[in-house]
Amino acid sequence: MRNSTTGWLLLAPTLFILVITGLLPFVYVLSVSFFDWNTFAQNPDPQYAGVNNFRRLVFDAAFLKSLWLTLKFTVFVVLSQLVIGFFLAKMLMRDMPLKGLFRTVHTLPLMIAPIAVGATWRLLTVPGLGPIPHWMKEWFDISYILSRFPDQAFATVVIMDIWHWTPLVTLTLMAGLSNLPEEPLEQARIDGASEWRIFWDITLAFLKPVLLTTIFIRLMDALRTVDEVWMLTGGGPGAETRFIGLHIWRVVFPKTDYGYGSAMSLITLYLTIVMCWFLYVAMTGMKDKTR
Amino acid sequence: MMKLMLATSAIALALAAPARADFWADASADLQGVTIRGVSESTPPSNYVKDVLIPEFTAKTGIIVEYETTSWDQMFDKAIKDMEAGSGIYDFVYIEQDIIYSYLARDFLVNLTDMLEANPDLQAPDFDMAAFTTFIDNFRGADGDVFGMPMEAFIKVYLYRKDLFEEPAHQEAFKAKYNYDLAPAVTFDQWRDNAEYFANIDPNDELWGTTVQAASGHPASFYEFFETIAPSFGVYNWGINAETAAATVEKGGQMNSAEAKEALAFWISMLDYAPPEATASTWDEVASTFAAGRAAQGWVYGENAAWIATNPEKSSVVGKVGVMLPPVVDGVMAEAEAGEGYIGYYDGGAFGMPHSSKNKEATLLFLQYIGQPSVQADWAVAGSRVVHQATYDDPKVQAVDAIADGYFTLMRDKGYLFRGAPEFPFHAQVREAVAPFIYEAIVGTMTPGDALDQAAAAAETEMANLGYGGN
Repeated sequence: MRNSTTGWLLLAPTLFILVITGLLPFVYVLSVSFFDWNTFAQNPDPQYAGVNNFRRLVFDAAFLKSLWLTLKFTVFVVLSQLVIGFFLAKMLMRDMPLKGLFRTVHTLPLMIAPIAVGATWRLLTVPGLGPIPHWMKEWFDISYILSRFPDQAFATVVIMDIWHWTPLVTLTLMAGLSNLPEEPLEQARIDGASEWRIFWDITLAFLKPVLLTTIFIRLMDALRTVDEVWMLTGGGPGAETRFIGLHIWRVVFPKTDYGYGSAMSLITLYLTIVMCWFLYVAMTGMKDKTR
Repeated sequence: MMKLMLATSAIALALAAPARADFWADASADLQGVTIRGVSESTPPSNYVKDVLIPEFTAKTGIIVEYETTSWDQMFDKAIKDMEAGSGIYDFVYIEQDIIYSYLARDFLVNLTDMLEANPDLQAPDFDMAAFTTFIDNFRGADGDVFGMPMEAFIKVYLYRKDLFEEPAHQEAFKAKYNYDLAPAVTFDQWRDNAEYFANIDPNDELWGTTVQAASGHPASFYEFFETIAPSFGVYNWGINAETAAATVEKGGQMNSAEAKEALAFWISMLDYAPPEATASTWDEVASTFAAGRAAQGWVYGENAAWIATNPEKSSVVGKVGVMLPPVVDGVMAEAEAGEGYIGYYDGGAFGMPHSSKNKEATLLFLQYIGQPSVQADWAVAGSRVVHQATYDDPKVQAVDAIADGYFTLMRDKGYLFRGAPEFPFHAQVREAVAPFIYEAIVGTMTPGDALDQAAAAAETEMANLGYGGN
């Protein structure tokens, strides 16, 4: 009993902070989502709307487009980062000249704030000023104008995110790879297994906990991307890079539509949890199957 | 007798002068060390406040001013959230002319007229509301009281490169191609010809035919179209009938009228002759483009006119800038002269004091400090803004006026033809509903006609959602 009390006492500060910073805002947003509340409406007071805000979401083309773009972006960046990060991790596990320098340079983007990453890429890509449009025109005769061509904007946002966050994947996978037990690998080689079989059945199986954690972190980050994209494209051209975080920001802040914005936030949170859950089940299921 | 009069005058001056000179110190005696905070957009006039007026004010009063200059959207977000929450972070906020109606509807701001009357000890001797131009009327409430201290006002003008238009080789080549004389545009057909001509003369693509403020993900493009282009085609007040909150032609609005569609089609077509940065350009980038000598003509916010025309450290077109009224279609000028319409945008803003301010007395002193006559001329030279009628006659302003091809004179004499944003309490909400369709038109994923049809419908839906009009 005494141990339990001490435990709760020790946990109390953390629980208090969690309640204040996590639970209460969530409950507040949940309650606001059931109201029509725009402070610039003729009636600026909250009006109870039941589930109408959630119903509106189903028919809101802008929201659905934003959601689709976010999912597309997430799939592109998370998969790319995993593949590139894995190869880089494997490469950095080997002895090679200037390995330390490369590892440091490769990790530098991680230390830059997202807003600064967006600003840097904006300077690189502004037509008439940035070097990328200049050289794209000079070398490939391509008019590279992010603010005009949706495909270029989307691709650039994806590349920027890959550049920014792949080092995190590399570092976590390096940690995982360095902890791989040598014996099963040696045994497999002695038994004549191919490199692909070794990778699929042993390396990947042992890396699953690290992979799962890395994918979760990157998935959640990608789904809530705002700052970099806001700085680079502002969600444009048109709404072609207006991912869900940016869309919610525009609804809640400039448009001051608090009720509807809250409903969007909750649905986005719900989708994130569902996706993570599916991923968890899929990956742990795969693990069981491997056994 | 003369000596006696001179001596009397000297004594009177000697007695009076210290009292006037010491007003700021006397009035702020109990406010030493107080810190007031403000937020504004980073613009030439705002930067002058930060770099010059605030240090002067602090030196004279001992009141510290923390002044945040940020991007336009961040400025509004911060100010509105602070005032909504009543947190009192800011003691003064920038109020753009187009947002004041929303702020007054929400009762965010302190009535400055009342506060000055209630605090005679804080009334600066040189400060006089009557010294302002009629622009101050934008910041009056229904009973005529003032809720914002004007700090900038300017018109959006047609700027062109005089050196290019006066170059004989260009005049000859233009006439050979178009069969009429090269000249600054007074019609939109002429604008298009000028743009096409100049966009095609530089093989290195360093000179383009026109600026277009067509940021494809920023409300700046919405504003250029609805506040500058559409009025010059005879579509006023965003094409919204304020009485019925209607935007579509079917319900009595003009947003998707034939005139509006013609205006949008013309504006979008100018992207063919604009520099590649046009679709990423807000008001700041347009000014930078023109100052860098990358456009032969364009619609440029007047707050940039002076530095573009006179500051060789920032501008490569010093002494080469021409200023004119923007072109309009037939009938619009007559409507503007009659007060039934307008030809373009009269922009500006003021500093207002939120009710949540925690240092109202110190803020009132600061607002008067920036509103006094003695600071106006240098500020006008630095930021091409005029809020006092007397500023136009100041020799410093007139000197810049001569170099800037009469920008200040144009604003004084023709400013009445321009108008600010309509008195919509739903300004930002309708803008956010409509702007995406303008972006789509810029990118080319919608035709101008379709974009305006959908924009008008979206505007009506938004107004109805907000409880206006009941469409």
